[in-house]
Amino acid sequence: MVQDVSVGDLRWNIVWQRDVCVMCGSCVAACSFHAIEVVRNRYLRGSVHISGEHSGQTPAPRLAIRQIADSKCACRGCGMCAKVCPVGAIQPVRNYDNRMSMLSRCVGTPKRGGRHGGVQRRTLDTIMVGRISQMTDPALDSERHLFDIRAPLGRVMPVSDLPLQVEGERLKVAGRTPPVRWIYPLIFSDMSIGALSTRAWEAVALACAYLNERCHLPVRMCSGEGGMPVRLLESEYLKYMILQIASGHFGWNRILTALPRMKVDPAAVLIKIGQGAKPGDGGLLPAAKVTPHIQAIRGVPGVTLHSPPNHQGLYSIEEAVQKMHLSCNAIFGFRVPVAIKCAVSATSVAVYNNLLRDPYNICGGFFLDGIQGGTGAANEISLEHTGHPVVSKLRDCYRAAVAQGRQGQIPLWAGGGVGQTGNAAADAFKLICLGANGVFVGKILIQLLGCVGNEQGRCNACNTGQCPTGICTQDPRLVRRLDIDRGAENIVGYMRSFDAELRKLLAPVGNSSLPVGRSDALVTSDKAVADKLGIQYAC
Amino acid sequence: MLHIDTVSGHERRSTQELLLLIEAAVEQGETDFYIAASGQHDIGGPLWNRKGAPLTFTVRNPGQRVGAMCLPATTVLVEGPAPADVGWLNAGGRVVVRGDVGDTAGHCAASGVIYVGGRAGARAASLMKHDPMYDEPSLWVLQNVGSFSFEFMGGGRAVVCGLGCEKMSSVLGERPCVGMVGGIVYYRGQVSSLPAEVCVKELETDDIAWLESGLDDFLAAVDKQEACQLLADWSMWHKIVPEIGDEKRPDTVEDITAFRREAWIPGGIFGDVVEDNFQVSGLVACGDLRLREPVWQQEMQCSPQGRGCRDCGQCLKACPERAIARVHDDEGGYGYISDGARCIGCGICTAICPLGVWQMHVHLAEL
Repeated sequence: MVQDVSVGDLRWNIVWQRDVCVMCGSCVAACSFHAIEVVRNRYLRGSVHISGEHSGQTPAPRLAIRQIADSKCACRGCGMCAKVCPVGAIQPVRNYDNRMSMLSRCVGTPKRGGRHGGVQRRTLDTIMVGRISQMTDPALDSERHLFDIRAPLGRVMPVSDLPLQVEGERLKVAGRTPPVRWIYPLIFSDMSIGALSTRAWEAVALACAYLNERCHLPVRMCSGEGGMPVRLLESEYLKYMILQIASGHFGWNRILTALPRMKVDPAAVLIKIGQGAKPGDGGLLPAAKVTPHIQAIRGVPGVTLHSPPNHQGLYSIEEAVQKMHLSCNAIFGFRVPVAIKCAVSATSVAVYNNLLRDPYNICGGFFLDGIQGGTGAANEISLEHTGHPVVSKLRDCYRAAVAQGRQGQIPLWAGGGVGQTGNAAADAFKLICLGANGVFVGKILIQLLGCVGNEQGRCNACNTGQCPTGICTQDPRLVRRLDIDRGAENIVGYMRSFDAELRKLLAPVGNSSLPVGRSDALVTSDKAVADKLGIQYAC
Repeated sequence: MLHIDTVSGHERRSTQELLLLIEAAVEQGETDFYIAASGQHDIGGPLWNRKGAPLTFTVRNPGQRVGAMCLPATTVLVEGPAPADVGWLNAGGRVVVRGDVGDTAGHCAASGVIYVGGRAGARAASLMKHDPMYDEPSLWVLQNVGSFSFEFMGGGRAVVCGLGCEKMSSVLGERPCVGMVGGIVYYRGQVSSLPAEVCVKELETDDIAWLESGLDDFLAAVDKQEACQLLADWSMWHKIVPEIGDEKRPDTVEDITAFRREAWIPGGIFGDVVEDNFQVSGLVACGDLRLREPVWQQEMQCSPQGRGCRDCGQCLKACPERAIARVHDDEGGYGYISDGARCIGCGICTAICPLGVWQMHVHLAEL
């Protein structure tokens, strides 16, 4: 029938070489999408002949590996079949003439499964660190100079507002100042327990602790909105964690009840208003991923979980700032910085201006999450068509603060696609020069764990519970595929490279500390970008 | 001896005028100079007598780079102090400064000797190296050197006598020897903040012999013979050498597994809500970790004749894991079973069965 789905309609096709295959069955066994099967075809010429004695009546059976022509178990191109094949007989190839963007919408629900080439050109890729210290001032030795690579998280008070008193010839601090943590300028961004498997989440937490304890890199990790493991809440490692409270408030019962047993304060609390991958759209954890431990940590039944697109108790920006910030500050006795994360929007500067008023000195950071972040779990309509690039809006926010002489008071943290090309250090450095105090990354962390997804639609089955790498699934059989130690090792190694590469950029511009707002260090090959960001045009 | 006074009345010879004058005199055969300088640069090199006779410069009040690029037969004696870059790129000359010297003394020197009768400034002997065709360079300093000295040093020997500096926390200032890959730094006194790429060692017999052979000449040159007895107590000395070869520390190896076992939360952070032994299964797994499992269903009457298994045994032969076994009882009944401990759930048995008796059971998730 015309409407029947054929493999030619699917996004990926399996190429299988019958003359090479030894019919070990590994590819079929490894495929978590059930996209391929073994079939018997006695008429199939040249298909694999299983040796053995056969009676005269039974023709020698011939077996073949065949892709299943069903959009529900369509090949995602993850390549696990190719990874396990001992003879290189099978691999997925991209099928450019597929009809999936139609077929996957024929079921009456929004299409999910990542971006499919709808990513915009990256502004950061037009920017170069073009102001090199040479004759004007000495460049630094990137490997040996003692750099101060720290970024503030917390409300930084201007000196004029500090409660300082002169006593005799000494300055004395008389009164409270807001808490500020000076941390590494890259935060492991919020991916929830639930969205990630226990092993994946633990691998990121383990890498974070290792970086602090063994590598002197004070990286912090944000919990995501799925709560926190109680054992972590009650351990010393809590000091490396940023606790997120989002619209679903998932897991906060266990966080609050753990308070009397906490040995240390967490690094910060992050109020999530929105996220760049799906701004204005709430979170959604499909029932397939709401396993008993997720139900326990989040305090919910095993059904599909929605996080509303907005906080139910917040009706205005003033409430968002004052009520929410006050409550979150109060949880830890005003000892822990509280920051807020929003999806980047045309209105971001208005929000930042409102935050900057901050009459109670309780706003410890503004996290701007751009459109290029997110995994394959979000609806494609949100991923590709909703949101705002982070670069220009970060710049606008920074300049708005500069115009008021308030830059640096409420730290700006930028994310959403940082590290998308693999080099997070270059992205971070450029964003810092444009006014960010630091950056946050999410997707590259799971890619370091072993995720094979990319921006061109490979895999991106994060919403299905069938993640072949055991990262975005709660299926214990798939989760067991993930090696926590090796995953964490990749993240630790990447962060050490990140640190070394950051120094390679700090050195030539001659900065010992992070060059926040040093836009003179940047040039761009795009005139429009130059005009918009206020940096030099170069060609 | 040619005596050159660089100031006459209110007129001062420029560096260029002085250097051209010296060069012309050397060309005329002059070998002995006394230069009452007034800050002119580059006095002393690179110059040579056509007949190979030694050249001697006695200098007062030089500018930067005195004794720079000196050639082997040249001797420069500075009566007082000298500013930066003394003996810069020294190529074999003997440069003696009786007083203190500025920064980067001996910078990039590859041969010859430099004697300093006082203190040396920052970055002394940075990038000093040894050209194996010539004698190795050395820098002797009577007192101490400033911070960042011996950076990237690749060869030669530096001697910091620490005379009168016994109470200093570091006779080498802050962060000396960063990036040092060769050569030896001898010092008497304390040092601090050494980088990981170097190590401090006791002197050996060879070291003491080398120091003893040079100490008298050094002290005589800077006119401090009286310090000889004090300085020759070799028990007060140490040397700094780069860690190379077998001594080089291995690159940091991340051992996350050890960290997880020793320092991480015992049993993992989710140990209270989910069972996990942290064992890793391959992409192709057996038993409970299989994504599918075959079930032999004799009652499946799916053949055209309405009969079940014909006992052809093709599944048994085709199974790549040899997981299928035929079982039988005394009454002639038989059956096939799949051993879950071996079966990977590939479905070859299902495909090969001509009658569809083997059925794959697919578990999308185990909830």
